[in-house]
Amino acid sequence: MTAHPTLPDAGSHRFRRTLLRVMAVQVGTLLLLWLLQTRYTG
Amino acid sequence: MHALDWTIIVVYLVYVLVDGVRRAKGTRELEGYFLANRSLPWWAVGLSVMATQLSAITLIGTTGQGATDGMRFVQFYFGLPVAMVILGVTLVPFLHGAKVFTAYEFLERRFDARTRSLTSLLFLVARGMSCGTIIAAPAVVISAVFGLDLVWSVALIGVPTVLYTMIGGVQAVTWVDVKQMVLIVVALVAVVVVLLVRLPVSPDDALAIAGAAGRARVFDFSFNLNETYTFWSGVIGGTFLMLSYFGTDQSQVQRYLTAKSVDEARSSLLMSAYWKIPLQALVLLVGVLVFVFYLFQAPPMLFNPAHDRAVRQAEPGALAALETRYGTALAGRQAAAEAVARERDGGDGPAVTVAIEAFKARAADAETIRGEALALAEQVTGESSRDVNYVMPAFVLHHLPLGLVGLFIAAVLAAAMSSIAAELNALATVTVIDFYRRWVRPQGSDAHYLRVSKAATGFWGLFACVVATFAATLGSLIEVVNRFGSFFYGSILGVFLLAMIRRARPVGAFLGLIAGMATVATVNFGAPAVSFLWHNVIGAVTVVVVGMALSARRAAPAHPTA
Repeated sequence: MTAHPTLPDAGSHRFRRTLLRVMAVQVGTLLLLWLLQTRYTG
Repeated sequence: MHALDWTIIVVYLVYVLVDGVRRAKGTRELEGYFLANRSLPWWAVGLSVMATQLSAITLIGTTGQGATDGMRFVQFYFGLPVAMVILGVTLVPFLHGAKVFTAYEFLERRFDARTRSLTSLLFLVARGMSCGTIIAAPAVVISAVFGLDLVWSVALIGVPTVLYTMIGGVQAVTWVDVKQMVLIVVALVAVVVVLLVRLPVSPDDALAIAGAAGRARVFDFSFNLNETYTFWSGVIGGTFLMLSYFGTDQSQVQRYLTAKSVDEARSSLLMSAYWKIPLQALVLLVGVLVFVFYLFQAPPMLFNPAHDRAVRQAEPGALAALETRYGTALAGRQAAAEAVARERDGGDGPAVTVAIEAFKARAADAETIRGEALALAEQVTGESSRDVNYVMPAFVLHHLPLGLVGLFIAAVLAAAMSSIAAELNALATVTVIDFYRRWVRPQGSDAHYLRVSKAATGFWGLFACVVATFAATLGSLIEVVNRFGSFFYGSILGVFLLAMIRRARPVGAFLGLIAGMATVATVNFGAPAVSFLWHNVIGAVTVVVVGMALSARRAAPAHPTA
């Protein structure tokens, strides 16, 4: 067994920014799907 | 089918073969053959990741699901973006930084050889069989639609894929994936355009009619463990499933191990994080629009042509009577759909509601008669008459314009081939790196391993084609293996999670993995109604809890060695 890996420096600032961007796109997509459902499902 | 469409398919197959084989020049050593010397750009790897996940069944089965069940399947992917971001900061840096060939190789460095061997063996068993089903699913549809023998359908998909993967290695897999992904998206967009042009109602009215038939429902917020597709199973179960698939399945891990750097590997996964849900929504939307299209064009009562022929031969009188009733019901449904569009254009709210209710009743009438026809087909053929996978092929062959038929079939072949190629490449890598080089011949030359790798790719290709050819007779066995696969997917994720916990010990990882699989098997047999999406959560959590408990028991009291 070798030494356990240490968590690499993930660049927390950049990670937060990426996470925010990805989540923003997903929220936008989910909103569009929600609009599709509410507008067209009686 | 027209000669032009056949030409497009043949040109596609020849191009894929030539393009894949010419990548062989960059694969003279093992690292080039399996990892492209870690030189590929993020966008190519990202498209390859997406192409690997998108199989032929996505194009023919998911569109059919959109037509028969609507948009709610998209919830299955709600956990994917979160999983990709988590992997980007956890497993990807570990695996890419460890300079390993396989994800399981990393587990030996962190724990021990038995954990590596068990996880890689589980991968080989499950993926070897599933590779057969990935070929079999579209091959069965192709053979039913074109009246081809199943062996020829399997060969049409399997032979070119095995050849270019065997000769060109991962470079061929990735660069062909890039073109295949572009082809798939182009074909999907073209079909949407054709559908919108051919519909006799506006897109707004089309969606309203689809909504009245329940096809526009996306979200189900009920917390029901027995329901497969809900918002919560998608977000929670889906996240664990995607973490398992993209983080621990060699067919996906190998894609991003070929990236130039950790950053490029992360970026490649983020491409899926951004685009997977919109792409999946587009695939389902195609199905929904096909459903609306068939409101104005009489659809076949039985979409599976083989079942149609069998029933026509065995029960001609009963089928004719059903067809007469079905024709009348379809005419009523079409008139009701036209009334919905007319009333919506008129803007009279109450009249629209009345028209929608009338449409729902007529649609239910048609569905009831079709249900009777499906039951008759089941009785005659003795097999399941569920024909979701035949809705899209029927539409493509009978209603797409010249040229587009060939383009869409080429896209289906592309989707199948991209998934199979990645699987074969990964199966060969695990066979050679985790078994042959580890246990059989550790001191071989690079040239020797390269020869063995090509032979292993060919072997797995042949194995997958044989499994696919006997898919019908192996049906129950394949189902058992697939079910067996779901037992350990989450459990393997649990082992990788343990690998990132400093205090986790080898004994905890190995016994935790076994405990995780046993727990999932118990849940599966004890509570079979629980959706498989939750199995991954249960498996991963069990492995981490049991693994940490055993690690704590075995840890040295004073100064644990690393």
